[in-house]
Amino acid sequence: MLVSFNLVMALAAVPAALLARRVGPGRAAAVGLAIFAGAGLACGLADSLATLIAARCVQAIGGAAAVTAALELLPATVGSERRAATVWAAAGATGAALGPAVGGLLTELVSWQSIFFLQVPLALGAAVPILAVAKHEAATGVIEPELRRTGRPHLWANLALAMVSAAIAAALFLLVLLLIEGWRLSPIEAALVVTVMPLAALLGSRLTEMVADARSRAAAGAILVSGGLAGLAFLPKATVALTVPPQILVGIGLSLVLSALTETALGGRAPQAIHGGWTISARHAGVVIGLLLLTPIFTHDIAEQRHDAIDAGTAVILDSPVNPLLKLDLAQRVSDRLEEEKGKVPTIGPAFEPLPSDPAERAEVVQLREELQDQLDRGATHAFSTSFILAALLGLIALFPIALARRVDL
Amino acid sequence: MRGRVLVIGAVVASLALVGAYLAAGGSSYEPEHVQNPCQPRPWSNPQGLGEIANQFTNSALDGAACKLGVTRETLARALASPEARKRFSERFHVTDAKLAAAIRAGLIRAVDDAEEAGALSPILAAPLRETLQRIPLQEAIELVNNARSLLGNAQGFLGLGESILENFLP
Repeated sequence: MLVSFNLVMALAAVPAALLARRVGPGRAAAVGLAIFAGAGLACGLADSLATLIAARCVQAIGGAAAVTAALELLPATVGSERRAATVWAAAGATGAALGPAVGGLLTELVSWQSIFFLQVPLALGAAVPILAVAKHEAATGVIEPELRRTGRPHLWANLALAMVSAAIAAALFLLVLLLIEGWRLSPIEAALVVTVMPLAALLGSRLTEMVADARSRAAAGAILVSGGLAGLAFLPKATVALTVPPQILVGIGLSLVLSALTETALGGRAPQAIHGGWTISARHAGVVIGLLLLTPIFTHDIAEQRHDAIDAGTAVILDSPVNPLLKLDLAQRVSDRLEEEKGKVPTIGPAFEPLPSDPAERAEVVQLREELQDQLDRGATHAFSTSFILAALLGLIALFPIALARRVDL
Repeated sequence: MRGRVLVIGAVVASLALVGAYLAAGGSSYEPEHVQNPCQPRPWSNPQGLGEIANQFTNSALDGAACKLGVTRETLARALASPEARKRFSERFHVTDAKLAAAIRAGLIRAVDDAEEAGALSPILAAPLRETLQRIPLQEAIELVNNARSLLGNAQGFLGLGESILENFLP
């Protein structure tokens, strides 16, 4: 489910771009947006997981057609192909940063279906101005004569894009999971926390305008993404405020690296739609690889850390000086609580209710509850460390193709 | 030049963040490791029946957990209720007979530890061991969970008077 959209996007982007060149970008974008809107509606109305996955796959095909065709349409609006590439790359980076925050807010404030329902008017609204271009293409019969003269894709830039996208997907996905599943924040709280990243990405886009050298921007961005991920791997306490500095680094980094690499992949290459298709394909393939690589690791780690945290918490109870009968009672309630929240990091507070009436015992039990909760917080946070470190390494490995891209092409 | 400054700035910012988090204890922010139950857990000069009972329980759990190859904490949660015990038995493939043998061994280790720590007189320890070797599973579990009852009611097992018991317990 998680990777179906990205997988289809990765596979469909280049064929969709080829189609856009054949039928004309206006028609391809209009049809793509219509498919995207229709499939989005189907996603919102889906009554089963299978229907939802199928609709998401169709939506990815429409999205691939619309996004790659947009790159062909942009020069007419922004004045040049170079400027179009910059705007297109920046839009992609902003979207990547903004997605989880908007999704989380809509899920909590309305419903998960509302994410898809909102896409319908947005996609149709975007299609309206493109219809005029599509009609013109239909009338003049625009068929791209240079279809077979497409240059080779920029291997190193696209490889770096895939690696960095894997790291960024992990950052967004793992952080949201840590906040909701590990630290028990509500989706709206988690969404508000991760808005730091898109805000930082805006700051990163200012840096993009100030530094012309794409390789430096890409390298700095990859380093910042990795640094932010390493920061998340070594959080010294389960406190939301401590996620802000790493998020700032990731946000600025993703804005710098995604736009720089996309510009590099498109620079001096034609047709733009097809090379744009390769960048979309690389980014989404990276997301798929990142999630497939890291999901089993953190799933295993979270189960192991949950067990270690519960053992550590039980040790706190056993080693405490409270009355043995009260200990037994607490152990039983904690055990029942764990059973109720099987497989999750439990909210342990209810296991300690009602508190003893005796003030001295009450104080001891409150302290025990806090110590047990601390152990669970430690376990939940530590469970994500290995995955964040691996994601940081993916970001650092991307520095190699970034360095090679310079030597070969710039 | 600006590009180089940007890269150096990114390296410095990343190292500063990671360094600060590591210095604040980021590398050791994880659940505390529980003790291997097969290692001895020293008794800390217990004062009064309550403290002795607490340490007796811990020794008994350690001994039984060591026999079963699980942690003291896992076993303690398993013994908290019949449902928890059933889940434990299924998960670790532990039969009632195996559990009973392990708990008896744990209780005997607790008597040994209590005797070694000077918390239990050798005169009381020897017959307690004899009794514990034959104790049924349910009673053994109850004794682990409430060691105070074992120590407080030891005269029930031994047929000794309360006043005599008081002389054996510190």
